[in-house]
Amino acid sequence: MNERMTSLGETLLAGDVEAIKRLTEEALSAGTTPQAILEKGLRPAMESLGERFSRGEAFLPELLVAAETMKASMEVMQPAIVRGGVAPKATMLLGTVEGDIHDIGKNLVKMMFEGAGFKVIDLDINVKAARFLEAYHKERPDLVGLSSLLTTTIGEMEKVIQTIREFDPEAKFIVGGAPVTQAFADRIGANGYAPDAGKAVKVGNRIIGRS
Amino acid sequence: MRQVLTGKERIMKALDLAEPDRVPVFEMGINEASIVNLGKHFTDDVPPVKHITDMDLEEQIRYMDLLSLILKELGNDGISTVFIIRKERVGEDLARDKYGTTYHLSEAGEPVPVEGPVQGVGDIAKLAFEPDPGDYAMLQYLVQTMGRDVAHFFAIPDLFRLSWQLRGGMDKLLLDYMRDEELVFALARVTTDFCKAALKMARGHGADVIILEGDLAFNTSTLMSPDQYRKFIKPYHQELISFCHEQGMKAVKHSDGNLWPILDDLVEVGFDGIHPIQPQCMDIKEVKGHLKGRAAVVGNIDCSFLLPFGTVEEVDQAVRETIRIAAPGGGYIISSSNSIHPGCKPENYIAMVKAARRYGAYPINL
Repeated sequence: MNERMTSLGETLLAGDVEAIKRLTEEALSAGTTPQAILEKGLRPAMESLGERFSRGEAFLPELLVAAETMKASMEVMQPAIVRGGVAPKATMLLGTVEGDIHDIGKNLVKMMFEGAGFKVIDLDINVKAARFLEAYHKERPDLVGLSSLLTTTIGEMEKVIQTIREFDPEAKFIVGGAPVTQAFADRIGANGYAPDAGKAVKVGNRIIGRS
Repeated sequence: MRQVLTGKERIMKALDLAEPDRVPVFEMGINEASIVNLGKHFTDDVPPVKHITDMDLEEQIRYMDLLSLILKELGNDGISTVFIIRKERVGEDLARDKYGTTYHLSEAGEPVPVEGPVQGVGDIAKLAFEPDPGDYAMLQYLVQTMGRDVAHFFAIPDLFRLSWQLRGGMDKLLLDYMRDEELVFALARVTTDFCKAALKMARGHGADVIILEGDLAFNTSTLMSPDQYRKFIKPYHQELISFCHEQGMKAVKHSDGNLWPILDDLVEVGFDGIHPIQPQCMDIKEVKGHLKGRAAVVGNIDCSFLLPFGTVEEVDQAVRETIRIAAPGGGYIISSSNSIHPGCKPENYIAMVKAARRYGAYPINL
């Protein structure tokens, strides 16, 4: 089992899509649960990659390849996840705020949270505050992630936070993106800020009180 | 008393890493809404805000006249122009350029490529990827209206940006770095050839400096690893910069973000200046110390928070401090830390330029 999990992690980092599909199928056939595959195989690998990324030792191409590979493994596990009713660790609502159509950073954050066992509801790009609220109503997520690449759109983050907090004053937010700083996050009432995708999960876990 | 130089002489001297009579003022981009907002400080006759690629010729001329007026009033030493490439609308928020890249349009920022004509190496031979002489109208017009006493920068997307535009997204090219090197090299070849032809034409129309735009970094590091930069981009940068110098022009690299991991490489390939040294990502004092005598520093006045949200007094102090650090010894051109986007207060930009005059006279005694 441990060897198989190590191999899954190594394959994820190597970015071998075909191999990870095969290894995931083999693990499921051998009776390993999707939760175990995620937590013992994929998650440690993603965490170590995220840490290397935050230290400047890994770069976007490696993250993107790992994301693609992880997606392939998740697709293989999907029927078993549905059958087994595996509960996610937490639910996150994620989107790039209105006016901003950039998605690379947001997609990397999504991948890191999925790798950490979160269910991520991705509202995509250019998301209006009203749409965030509508999805918040429906999904009741543990955490809301807001992304923005442009200085001209970061003001929208505050709007989303205010809109959702009118409905739920306890709503938790993590913000990130090129123009965002800790000071800005504090000013708009976000619960946390992550300077990069690698650090985002740690901050998110802290916000919602999970490890 | 130093001899008073023209704007162009001032810029060229700074790019030659010497001290001009005063710190030159330049801006890489002043976006359409900012032109209108700044224009209101100098004239009542301003056009409605519109994206330049959606304008007809008459509207474009009105904008370029207003930009010329602003730059003359402010007395900027270097101005920057770009290709005006018309895009055909192919959906509510989508437009396609003549090379086959489809962009998602946004009022708040630059269009983002979402689909490109190159899916595999076989598509490259089918591309008609050459600069269009008809796309230099902005450079040609501004050379006429501004004359030759200012330095004309012409901004060309560099091979990295052109490659990911042709692929229809930066993530696709960065995945290619790991999965399809043949395609990466083929794209680098065709885009480098495009850049060489483009900068040669720009020279013919009066450009003095080429600014190769296209981010290579984000806030905390480079987008690609230094090894990937050295493998997939650096040799082509070297070829481009040599060619640019042969044409009698200077070359400046523009990239947002933290360029430290490849800063020495950019100097090694021969860039004459590095722009814009975002204050959130790189410390101007460290960069100046590192680049002194090797490449000019261009930029650093914060357009993320200071110019949009700061006061005129804060702008004045930031300019003073930046000049104190970056200008002694020469090799510094002041500009914002990216461009004058719609979020920047026009009065803050005007204050920035005025402060550059107030504190920028050589020798710097601040």
